[in-house]
Amino acid sequence: MALDPIFSDAIIFASLLALLSIGLTLTYLTTRVPNFAHASFATIGVYIALVTTRVWDSTPYIAIPIAFVISGVVAVALYTFILKPLIRKGASQAIQMVATLAFDLIVIALLNIFADYIVKTYQVTSREFTLRSYDVEFMGLPLIVFAAPITIAVLAITLHIVLKKTKFGIAMRAATENSDLSGIVGINVKLIFGVAWLLGGGIAGIAGALMSLWFQGDPSLGPQLIPSVFAASIVGGFFSIYGAIAGGLLVGLTEVLGTRFLAGEFGSWLIAYRPLIPLVFIVVTLLLAPRGLAGINWSRLRRHGFRS
Amino acid sequence: MVLEAETVFIVDLLAIFAIYLIVNLSLNMEFGYAGIPNFGKVLAVGAGAFVAASIPGRIFANIAGIEGDYIENNLAIVSEINIWLVDNTGIGFIVFFLTLGIAAAVGGGLGLLTAYPAIRLRGDYLAISLLAFGESIRIIGNNFTPLVGGTLGVQVPDPLSFLPGELRFPVATMGLMLIAIVVYVFSEKMIRSPLGRMLRAVRDNEVAAESLGKNTTQIRIKIIMVSAALAAIAGALYAFYVGGTIAIAYDRASWTFWPFLMILIGGLANNKGVLIGTLLFVTLRKFIIFFKDSFQEYVPFDVVWLDFLLLGIILLAVLLYRPQGIFIEKPTPTITLNGKKEQSGLKKMFNFFFK
Repeated sequence: MALDPIFSDAIIFASLLALLSIGLTLTYLTTRVPNFAHASFATIGVYIALVTTRVWDSTPYIAIPIAFVISGVVAVALYTFILKPLIRKGASQAIQMVATLAFDLIVIALLNIFADYIVKTYQVTSREFTLRSYDVEFMGLPLIVFAAPITIAVLAITLHIVLKKTKFGIAMRAATENSDLSGIVGINVKLIFGVAWLLGGGIAGIAGALMSLWFQGDPSLGPQLIPSVFAASIVGGFFSIYGAIAGGLLVGLTEVLGTRFLAGEFGSWLIAYRPLIPLVFIVVTLLLAPRGLAGINWSRLRRHGFRS
Repeated sequence: MVLEAETVFIVDLLAIFAIYLIVNLSLNMEFGYAGIPNFGKVLAVGAGAFVAASIPGRIFANIAGIEGDYIENNLAIVSEINIWLVDNTGIGFIVFFLTLGIAAAVGGGLGLLTAYPAIRLRGDYLAISLLAFGESIRIIGNNFTPLVGGTLGVQVPDPLSFLPGELRFPVATMGLMLIAIVVYVFSEKMIRSPLGRMLRAVRDNEVAAESLGKNTTQIRIKIIMVSAALAAIAGALYAFYVGGTIAIAYDRASWTFWPFLMILIGGLANNKGVLIGTLLFVTLRKFIIFFKDSFQEYVPFDVVWLDFLLLGIILLAVLLYRPQGIFIEKPTPTITLNGKKEQSGLKKMFNFFFK
């Protein structure tokens, strides 16, 4: 099966943005703090994939569960040891955001130290590396082209069932809606928030492990991804998992295919300006529909048009 | 006369201190007094530096009649300009101050443009969009060559080139300190003015301020613009001081994260705290850079990352164990009525700037 690589690019990038955006939304729902270290959780996943493939000589897909656990634990550490004490002391939201920025800096520093360590100890390229050649072929295409969207579908269905059908999921939704009230009826809010952070960080780790199979890995990947991830979450509305998926797919596909289209129309110099696309998404969303895709009342829009 | 190593160390330290002091005072206006979490501080600083890198050189080349493509033959043209500036000090200074003015205007304009979409929304949306815009400045600078020469960077002409080599940096440092003092006094006066009180009122209780008829959106936009203009001036001064600009130097860590660290160590909403925090941090960094090489052989990785790690941990520790910083915010007395003449002058200035 032949496919223009730009479409593989678009499918994988959009899926990863959707994954990162789901995780970010999950953590945002609990503490109402945009976690600026979120994209660096994905970088942790990228490095775990590097270790499983190049150091352990195994397949990169083994990295997925390991990345889920390690990134998830790092996210829980951020919540338990930094954000929770700050919230208890009554720190403002801005201070909590600064704390996530500081945590991001620490994670990036540790990743860089780890990268240097791998180079020195195992003589493995650990900066601007790619693991594309370690992927398996499936129907004439790299497996990742199928694996990324399938991961989202599986995750979306699982999350939907957990949140809507299980007792734990209903408790989670109650806790995010009104944590004081759900504490009164006997829900362990702190445990639930911890699980939400574990899931959020873990999903980011999965995204990172998958990403290493197609995109270049580098310790500075997080800061490069941050505008796109936040654009996806803002487009999605920041309060809905489904919005996050839609926003991630929209921003991701537009970033890759839109850049390609514009470069074809106006010249290849435009490719360098690809990072401006998420900014356009942020500005347009905030100006026209600040509550994002999930906040638009679609049925009313269909009935009354844009006037109402 | 050749300067000794210690003198060079102190001169450089004071210059960096002065530049960061301006950036931090401007950030303190936004974050400390108005409660706006501007995580895109690097945008304004970078904009100022890019203005200093792209505009004065071209003006000088035009006046002096130096031919050639400014970016491609940058090194040759700028050294020719520097020789020409030795005999044309007056024009040099005029263009220098003109550049600071343009930098302030561009910075203020960018502040308005980037804050406008999210200014009416919740604080975190504003923080996210400012952060995203801040990340973009490096990418634009890296890719759009006519601005700052892309990945190679450009040289910035030196209005002080008439001075003998060993005096250039001490004199530049004195000038920077002077400008920093002016900004400090400006900031102190501003927070004691009605505008400063209004800022704190909006920060502490937006609904109450609105119910008293204050336009909170407008005041926020104003303070973002003023603060971005000051930060842009600092960026331009930095470019003039080091004599060059390269886009990758304007990253989130250096010009957003460190200013936050400094004002949080010193104490939010307290200019004295900002002063002490900046001095502490700049000195610490200077020593880290100084002793870095002697430390390198003991660790199996680049020491730069230990520096990042240390600073991140320091900030988290400050936030968790001493959130108010070294100096706590004190009630700021209003300007006394005795200095009537001064007050009316100040009022005129404010009417000029803000009304």
